[in-house]
Amino acid sequence: MKPIDLRMEGTRQGAIETARNRIIVVMALFTLGFFSLVVKLISVGVFQANGTTYYQTASSSQSALMARADIVDRNGVILATNLKTPSLAISKVDMRASAEELAQEVSEVLPEMEYEDVLAIMNAKGNHRWIKRKLTPKQEYDIRKIGDPGLVTSDSEKRIYPHGRLAAHILGAVDIDNNPKLGVEAYFDEQLSDPAKSEEPLMLSIDIRLQHILNQELTSYMDKFLAKGAAGLVLDVRTGEVLALSSLPDFDPNDLNGPKNLSEMNKVLQGVYELGSGFKTFTIASGLENKVVDLSDGYDATKPVVVGGFTIRDDHPKERWLNIPEIFAYSSNIGTLKLAQDIGVERQKEFFDKLGLFGKSDIEVYEKSGPLLPRQWGPTELATTAYGHGIAVTPLHLATGIAAMVNGGRLIPATLLRKNVSEFTGVTRISSDDESSAHSQVISQETSGIMRNLLHLAVEVGTGKNAKVDGYLIGGKTGTAEKVIKGGGYSHKAVISSFISVFPINDPKYLVFAMLDEPQGIKETFNLRTAGMTAAPMVGDIIRRIGPLMGVSTTKKDEIEYEDLILVSGHER
Amino acid sequence: MPLSARIGDHKRKSLRQKLAELNWFIVLVIVAIASLGFAMLYSVAGGSIDPWAKNQLIRFLIGLAIMIVIAVIDIRVWMFLAYPFYALALGMLAVVDIMGEMGKGSQRWLDLGFMNLQPSELMKIALVMALARYYHCLSDEDTLKLKSLIKPIILIALPVVLVLRQPDLGTTLLIMMGGIALLFAAGVRMWLFVASFIALIPAVIGAWQFLKPYQKQRVLTFLDPEKDPLGAGYHIIQSKIALGSGGVYGKGFIQGTQSQLNFLPEKHTDFIFTVIAEELGLMGGLSLLSLYFILLAYAMIVSVSVKSQFGRLMILGMVITFFLYMFINIAMVMGLVPVVGVPLPLVSYGGSAMLTLLVGFGFILSAAIHKETSIPRGGAFA
Repeated sequence: MKPIDLRMEGTRQGAIETARNRIIVVMALFTLGFFSLVVKLISVGVFQANGTTYYQTASSSQSALMARADIVDRNGVILATNLKTPSLAISKVDMRASAEELAQEVSEVLPEMEYEDVLAIMNAKGNHRWIKRKLTPKQEYDIRKIGDPGLVTSDSEKRIYPHGRLAAHILGAVDIDNNPKLGVEAYFDEQLSDPAKSEEPLMLSIDIRLQHILNQELTSYMDKFLAKGAAGLVLDVRTGEVLALSSLPDFDPNDLNGPKNLSEMNKVLQGVYELGSGFKTFTIASGLENKVVDLSDGYDATKPVVVGGFTIRDDHPKERWLNIPEIFAYSSNIGTLKLAQDIGVERQKEFFDKLGLFGKSDIEVYEKSGPLLPRQWGPTELATTAYGHGIAVTPLHLATGIAAMVNGGRLIPATLLRKNVSEFTGVTRISSDDESSAHSQVISQETSGIMRNLLHLAVEVGTGKNAKVDGYLIGGKTGTAEKVIKGGGYSHKAVISSFISVFPINDPKYLVFAMLDEPQGIKETFNLRTAGMTAAPMVGDIIRRIGPLMGVSTTKKDEIEYEDLILVSGHER
Repeated sequence: MPLSARIGDHKRKSLRQKLAELNWFIVLVIVAIASLGFAMLYSVAGGSIDPWAKNQLIRFLIGLAIMIVIAVIDIRVWMFLAYPFYALALGMLAVVDIMGEMGKGSQRWLDLGFMNLQPSELMKIALVMALARYYHCLSDEDTLKLKSLIKPIILIALPVVLVLRQPDLGTTLLIMMGGIALLFAAGVRMWLFVASFIALIPAVIGAWQFLKPYQKQRVLTFLDPEKDPLGAGYHIIQSKIALGSGGVYGKGFIQGTQSQLNFLPEKHTDFIFTVIAEELGLMGGLSLLSLYFILLAYAMIVSVSVKSQFGRLMILGMVITFFLYMFINIAMVMGLVPVVGVPLPLVSYGGSAMLTLLVGFGFILSAAIHKETSIPRGGAFA
């Protein structure tokens, strides 16, 4: 064997050289192969040649499913939630049939779209175009049945308000891209749209049952008195929680494309009105608190008085000397303004300021108004604001102030969020400052007790008689004000009639406010449209229905305080 | 004289020595690649060892044992057995072909009772060994002669024709390319390859006529997969979506939507690399490529230091076969080459391919252990 190897030495060297070279070539090809695989793998995995990455394509459908958090009422009833609804788009590169064929088939499935409309979309520039957002399940099924890969359905979410218009002004709405419009949807958008919190519903103070009752009564009285609008509010005077809030006309949050939608103002939070006699409550409380008068004092209401060129009269003239309870119960403008003159501008202003009447409320929506205040505080303004004229505030301002009058004197800001939510675990709790000490004491406990009795008196013997409900002790005050006409002055035909009440007045729990915008006198009310005839019975009907629901026990008729102070004149009783 | 005595010369190593010299790191890399395969088969079954992962594991353990046995047996034995082995594989291919002729339809495997064996897989190894032996016994001058090419071409052509008749285009190409690569490594003149490549162009055009419609479709779809997204392009489009959707770190084990929701075809066999890229991301894909690279680099390094021409050529042949498997499979699922049925080495579900690769690596390891053994040109036992 050896000799052969020696003989071949020369070529052997050459062969080994060749073999080595060939191995190097093979190794180079391997390296090239590996390199090309790595490059391709990275390019497919991270970038995609034509700009869009597959990674994005696959994950974008997921982000569209990030749920907006639900909104629930104080008992956990769903007020706003999401429904998966597919949207239809055309992707031209995937289209197999012709645009004409597809447009024909699609327009058959979608009755609201004409063939020409669909074709126009398909022929428009760009590869990807929406044909229709938010399909019904049946439409989706039919579109899928066409079976063209160019028709792309993608899941998106539609905000659904199962109660429709019922709490529209509180909730607000969202548009087709889930951008919030109005209401708590807008105010709490950051929290509601936070994907990390999508499982935590936002719990409102609203009780949808009360909301329903309020809405129904407002609607029926609005129809009865042919009013342009109506609004109402139920407030828990102990906590400041809004239990129901309604403003008519309203809108349908599920159909944002309807006419005039979203343009309907929230009368309770945005509307500013001269709410009239309700303000007498504040003036009298101020007088008592400032020790200007006590209950047995009184004023001469024999004749109308002239202040700053205006003659001020009483709506229910008694033409005699009236004591404080009588002034309140009979709603005497003359008596109240004389009291205000004794209190003086500074103390009156200070008191209104303490009640929060000079600024915007803290309620959790963006669409809310501040008051319209007199430009300067002269004797005229002092006189008119005493009985609620020449000063315009929102009904919520009045309600918050009245609540402070009866709840022991604490001014508690109204809120749309449920307090004390500890029993509902997993529910967002935003404000926790329900400690009574945190709220400012605007009148003493004692004065608050007197105001309760006066309000009770006004219902029992005064202008609020029509609000009486058997078994419940109700306190309340009417308010009738002529609407301000554009350009100045008052309209004699257009009035705002309102009634604000608290029950049970011996242990105040709930405040009910209701108003009618331009009610018309009808036969039943002897063509009268004053609050006592229109708004008071409406509030009575509301209390009659919500009292049992809220577990307020009925009471045998109590002794009416100060009744002995009232001099009964013939037609009053 | 008994066989063992004839091969046992003074340099003979004991079994213990051989086992100690076995490169256990490479065995570990092989186990790692296969384990990734088990994990993926577990994943694509929706988190279950049935029906794939368990079978695969059993086959792998058997294959691993065979590999180690092959590694410790003297390389001269394998050289001696190269032609008989080739004859056996060719015979089995013929049997499969005849069975197909006899009306049992297209069949690619023989039922051995405990497993279905694909003779075409066996042939990949047998051809490499036969060619390596042929060139070992050829003098270097003869290697350069055109006349000496006749036998190797016959050795390659016989199985190619039989496999093409099955028909199995992917395996045919693998066998052919493996054989040609071996001729290249053996030192056949360079101009021959260039000339054949030029001659191939009209041949390919001619062959186009003989392709089955589905094969033509595959090639056309490769050129433009978007043309037929629901039909033949479906495989590759779904695969690309899955690859891309994994991103850099993947969707997580058993979290791949494309694979778990059955959008992906053949996810447990030919398209398993897609599942790796979807669930383990770019990082998973690169890790597997790195493991393959380690294996192949090791084998190449060994081939340089092996003394015998047979050993060197055999290693090169096996490495090229292994590389082609890997490259074609991964390039296919990423849309670099047309869809051909080539499994991902050591990972795809399937017994024959797994056995082929482990046996192949057994020979590489055997050559490594016996790299100092020089074999006379006349043959192992001449």
